[in-house]
Amino acid sequence: MAPSQASYAPSLGKLLKSLNGQTLEASIESFIYLLKRRQIKGDDCADATAHLLRQVIAKSKWSDVDQLLTRVQNVGSRLAQAAPHEPIIGNIVRRVMGLIRDEASEDRNADDLGSETASDIQSLSMNAPRPQHPKPAPIASRPQTLTTMPSFHVSKAKSMFNLLSVVDTLDSPVTGASTPMSQAQPTSVSALRSEVLDGINEIMDEISQADDQIASFAEVQIQPGDFVLAYLPSRTVERFLVKASARRRFTVFIASLDPPQASSSTDPYAALRKKLNAGGVKMISIASNGLMAYMSRVNKVIFSAKAVYQNGGLLVDSGASVAAQAAHAYSKPVIALGGVFKFCPEDPSDEIAGETGDSSSYVSYADGSKVDALEVENTVADYVPPELVDVYLTNLGPQTRHHLASIMADHYKPEDVGFSLIPGEV
Amino acid sequence: GRRPSILVVEKDVRSGIPECFSHIPMAKRIPTAHAHKDVHPAVLVIGQQMATFAIKDSIARLEATLLAFRKVIESYETPKGNSLSRHFVPHVLNPQIEYLTECRPMCYSMGNAIRLLKAKVNDFDIDTPEEEAKEGLLETIDLFINERITLAEFVIARNAAKQINDGDVILTYGRHRLVEKTFLLARENGRVFDVSIIDDPYDRGGQELARSLQQVGIRVFYSPNLGGLRANVERATNVLLGTEAIFANGSLHAAAGTADIAVAATNASKKVIVLCETINFDRERVSVDALTYNEIDPEQNTSDSFRLLFDTTRDKYITGVITEFESGTGNSPAQAI
Repeated sequence: MAPSQASYAPSLGKLLKSLNGQTLEASIESFIYLLKRRQIKGDDCADATAHLLRQVIAKSKWSDVDQLLTRVQNVGSRLAQAAPHEPIIGNIVRRVMGLIRDEASEDRNADDLGSETASDIQSLSMNAPRPQHPKPAPIASRPQTLTTMPSFHVSKAKSMFNLLSVVDTLDSPVTGASTPMSQAQPTSVSALRSEVLDGINEIMDEISQADDQIASFAEVQIQPGDFVLAYLPSRTVERFLVKASARRRFTVFIASLDPPQASSSTDPYAALRKKLNAGGVKMISIASNGLMAYMSRVNKVIFSAKAVYQNGGLLVDSGASVAAQAAHAYSKPVIALGGVFKFCPEDPSDEIAGETGDSSSYVSYADGSKVDALEVENTVADYVPPELVDVYLTNLGPQTRHHLASIMADHYKPEDVGFSLIPGEV
Repeated sequence: GRRPSILVVEKDVRSGIPECFSHIPMAKRIPTAHAHKDVHPAVLVIGQQMATFAIKDSIARLEATLLAFRKVIESYETPKGNSLSRHFVPHVLNPQIEYLTECRPMCYSMGNAIRLLKAKVNDFDIDTPEEEAKEGLLETIDLFINERITLAEFVIARNAAKQINDGDVILTYGRHRLVEKTFLLARENGRVFDVSIIDDPYDRGGQELARSLQQVGIRVFYSPNLGGLRANVERATNVLLGTEAIFANGSLHAAAGTADIAVAATNASKKVIVLCETINFDRERVSVDALTYNEIDPEQNTSDSFRLLFDTTRDKYITGVITEFESGTGNSPAQAI
């Protein structure tokens, strides 16, 4: 849950610091440990995964692209399996794998076409889409759908047509030693390595800038006089609200299901309250289990998604679906915030949505006989079906459900979509 | 257990209330020394108990009020040159009512009962002997408690228990007296079923319900808050809810969170059954949102928190209402009574 996130943040910092000093395997193990203990969670998983994969690329020994892909895939699935409740990890792994495939195919095109053209192609693909798509070759995966027999198109790489279409993924291999990719020259390994590392840096930039980019749409989404219900505001939502408060006078209801923990006497949103009040925005913390009671006063409901599935459903903090449902009952719009790196090319899993957590704060375990028989279910993650979401506000701007498929296609390669199903191999 | 909040002048207590909710009343503790001199000691006590939510739900408040009024009537002596039918209501009963209302806004069952009691006083002839009038009033109160509270509870639980089948998983919210009675009675009748309790973390009555159900061997799933609502509704065969009141348009006035459960259940095509004594029906009020009639929780009214005690569940989210007279939709019993 968002409010408690701050207290876990040092774990991420520590992990990232330790990455350089440790062996790769030690880094992987300590990340898995932190994931299992939920000391790294939510958005931090994306950043940590990117950092770790960066180490995998930099530190592991590999002589061709297939080895590298296998390596990334193996580490990736170990991470994903350590935290099946964090689909965001798989997203980053897929992104990195897609990146490797792109860079590899560029390299090979470069070999075929001559180095001069290659640099042209590169600069083209690097420059054009970057402001909006930090990934080097976002259009790359589209052509895949146009062809029926990708493996026969290798020769096409030399044609003029391909020169104009910039990046050709038609020949990007399905992983496996038999693909032409294994012929990549060892001399290009270091070049590929540095290109992939650059690409990962861009993914990391995308992750770190997402909140700011999302916040830049706040002024459009929030109007003067609005009553905005922010459910368990995450860092993303907080930044969004604060940004809006610079130009708009409105009222924010902060909602969560539980009373503040008795142990922490301080208001978890004190800092946010201060910032909003400074902008003349009123903030009211609603201490309530149900949210229907307030909905007639609310104009819009905002919360952040932990992941956006391909059907448009959301993985969210527990209770956000109560907010979305109440909004829907009163026909009030629901705006889900989340960077494109949260878009997950999978269908929602039943188990994840009902994830239950620590129940000790609700039932005193000193009361032995009662607790023995009582089946306490403290749900910590929840699923919001697509029909309850009106706007997906991403770093690329507001989207509707109908745009999701093309965004997914822009960011993932079809051959990596099934990634999490691949069992981890040590 | 509600902590008594520190008493400040009323203006200060309400000053923290956000403007958009400033029209909503809130219970407050009045030092007994500040109460009107005519307030009966028994009424003083229950006023305090209501202000601190020691007596909380609608029927408990109603019963406590009637029993206290019984004492008021017993100790009443008509002043010379006056008659009970002229003097009692304005000079004795009304100060009690005003005081109680000041402690906490009256619930709708109290309003209904007081109206009936006043009507009874009006029925007396001006020269009805005092003893006879007092007897009559006490009898009215006893009959009222018997019929509208004790018997009603029994009949509702009996009818509702019949609706529970073997293998059912019944979802309920918090702890409501009628719902609890129904579960216990159904179990007594030999039904085998599970109960899924979603609790209100600001109240935690659901834990007591869980304990009482487990003692008779009912399997209980317990969710401390609405977080698991979707999964809970999915698993449930139907939903059984209690309410504080039902308005003339069939809306429920019930513990905040009730509407969220009813909406989720309706969206999942699960039956939503509401249990309610007819004394809790208000035929004069209509409410379509929770901000028309509500109360602010005095415990959560601080500089950084705010909470409403009730929400409004529209009749479209209710499959049926079981009362002691008849069952039907939220609207029809209201019409019938």
